[in-house]
Parts: sequence; C-alpha cells; structure tokens
Amino acid sequence: MLDIPILKIEDFLVVTIQSELSDDEISALQEDILFRIKDVGAAGLIIDITALDIVDSFMGRTLSNIAATVELLGAKAVVVGIRPAVAVTLVELGIRVKWNVNTALNFDRGMKLLKRLIEAERRGGAS
Amino acid sequence: MSQNLERELSTLFEDHADRLKGQWVTEMRESGLLEQMSDVETEKRYTALYNTVVSTFRTGEFEDVGRYAKEITEEAVLRDMSVGRIIGGILKLRDIYARFIFSKYRDEKDKLYKFLDSYEPVANNILTIVTMAFVEERERVIQEQQRAMMGLSTPVLQIREEILVLPLIGTVDSERAEQILEKLLNGIVELEASVVIIDLTGVPVIDSLVANYMIKTVHAAKMLGADTIITGISPVNAQTLAGLGIDISMLITKNNLRAGLWHADQILGFKVIREKM
Repeated sequence: MLDIPILKIEDFLVVTIQSELSDDEISALQEDILFRIKDVGAAGLIIDITALDIVDSFMGRTLSNIAATVELLGAKAVVVGIRPAVAVTLVELGIRVKWNVNTALNFDRGMKLLKRLIEAERRGGAS
Repeated sequence: MSQNLERELSTLFEDHADRLKGQWVTEMRESGLLEQMSDVETEKRYTALYNTVVSTFRTGEFEDVGRYAKEITEEAVLRDMSVGRIIGGILKLRDIYARFIFSKYRDEKDKLYKFLDSYEPVANNILTIVTMAFVEERERVIQEQQRAMMGLSTPVLQIREEILVLPLIGTVDSERAEQILEKLLNGIVELEASVVIIDLTGVPVIDSLVANYMIKTVHAAKMLGADTIITGISPVNAQTLAGLGIDISMLITKNNLRAGLWHADQILGFKVIREKM
C-alpha cells in the first residue's frame, strides 16, 4: 500500500497527494493525518491535490470528512490545487456530498488562508 | 430500360431548348421570381439549370445536380436569396417540361406514361438534392455564426490584481453556460484570481437554468479559492429568480458593476484614491 508522507512545516501539516488513490489508501491516509495532528498538536493542515485529474465521490467525501474531523481536533484544514475539471465534478457530485471545505488556488494561497483562518479564530477566542 | 427513355428525353429537351427557355423566362417573370435580376443573370441562371437537367437525363447520374446545388446555394445564401426563388425556378422548369412531354405525346398513351414515369422521379430527385443542399448550407452558416458569437460574447477580463470581471451579454443557454463556466475556471487558475465579478446587465432573461448554472459556477470558483459577486440583475429578473424558489442565499449580489467592484476591493483590501479633480 502506498505510504504518503505527511510533512510538518512550522505549525502545519502538509500532505501532497501525487497519484490517484484506492478507497483503502484514502481511508488509511485519513487515519494517518488525524493521528499526526493529534500527536504534533498542529494548528493547520494543507492537502494538495494539484496532481489529481479526477476526484471521485469517495475521495470528495473523504476530503470533506477529514476537514470536518480536523476542525473537531481544534485545527483548520485547507484543500489546495483543485483543477477546474475537478471543481466541476465535485460541484456536480455536491448534490449528494455535502462539501464544506476551505479551498485555495495553490499552495501559497492555501498557506495564507490557513494563517488567516487561525488568526481569525484566535482573535475571536480572545474577545 | 429507363436509361434509354431518359436519354430520349434529354434529346427532346435539347431539340426544343429555345421554346422551353422562352416559356420558363415568361412564367418566371409573371410570378415575380426574376425581380431585380438582369437579363444576363437570368440567362446565366437558366443555362446553369438547363445544362444540369439535360445532363442528368442524359447520363442518369446526379453528380452534376450536386455540383449545381452547391454552387447555387452558396450564392443564394451569400446574397440572401430566398429558398422560394431557387426552388420556384426549378419547379417551374419541372412543370414546363412535364407539360411539354404531355402535349408532345398526347396521342401515344403508352409512350406518354413511360416518359412521365421516368421523368418524374428524376425531376423530383433534382428538386430534393437542391433543397437539401440549400437547407444544409443555411444550417452551416447559422452554426458558424453561432460559434463566432459565442467566442466573442464571453470575455474574461482582469481589471485588477486578483479581480476578474465577466460581463455577460445576450441570452444564455445551457451550452453557453457550460462554456462560461469552463472559461471562468480556467481564467481563475491562469490569472490567479481571488474575486470574480459576473455582470448580468446584458442578459435579458434569467431562468432556472441560468440560475442553476450560476450557483454551480459560484461553487466551483469557490473550490479554486475565488469568491464570486453577481451584479446587474434587473428588477424583472430578480422577481423571476425570487419566484423560482431556487436557493440563492449563498450568492453575493450587488446592484451594479460599480458596487460589485467596490465590494471586491473591500474583500481584497484595495482602496481607490482620486488624486486629481
């Protein structure tokens, strides 16, 4: 089974999905990510799917799940690098899949968005 | 057997070419089908038609008809001539020849029937080929224009760093909506946009189809990290949208393009300052 590296940059975890994954691999990845966030106490997560031409409903749902679970662990998640065709597919699937994930165009933008989200929450928490 | 008959017919038409031509021109003129056409043109038109018909009867092949049909339809569509004129001319000639055959062999019933039997399918075939060619040519021109129009009518403009404007003009059908969606998403990626303004001032009718596409576009753009602002919905269209019962609460809408641009500036932290009065 494919072992996908989860990198740590500053306070964040970064996962780059390089190729299409089987449903089992996606589930395993989800588990890995959640445990790492807990272990490291990460404030944010970026999942980069630039390399993916196709995203199926399972993948879409799992990404959505990961984002929701990460929130429960007190961190923020951003998915970056969604291609136009993938976006259209996800929207069309959206009839069934509730998609509520923060997204950004590329890694750079994703990093900025993540920092903004965390900042906003901290400020919100202080007041 | 019919091959011989057809050849005989062609000889017959050739022998009486002048008389038949005179008849055609007279009848065409009477029914106003030769209006605004000079004598030279009339001559040319008739010769082309006549040659085609005679050669078709002589050879029994319809290749010449195809060629004739192509030429005349291209010319007709180009000069905006009506189908009625082209088809009218052929119908007239068909009637004249039929009447001619009838009067010629009135007393030889067997021969008359045989001639008419072989004449009519050929004449009808010629008519069908020309009509079809005309319709096809029209269709081709219409499609070409449609494509050209679609390409022209959906520009994606970058008016500031990270801000795109998409002014839509004309009616939006599903094909065009699909194209707009694609163009917009590619524009977002290429130009690294964060805010997109879709201006609907020039869209006369917004129905549920357009509304649904708009929602789809907004969601897809959001996945690429871009917020969408919709501007320029007319009061009538706003009423329609409200009445359709589609949930549009997630759309950011502004009165006009100016207000939309202002909002986009707000999101991205731009401030426009006038330095001179």
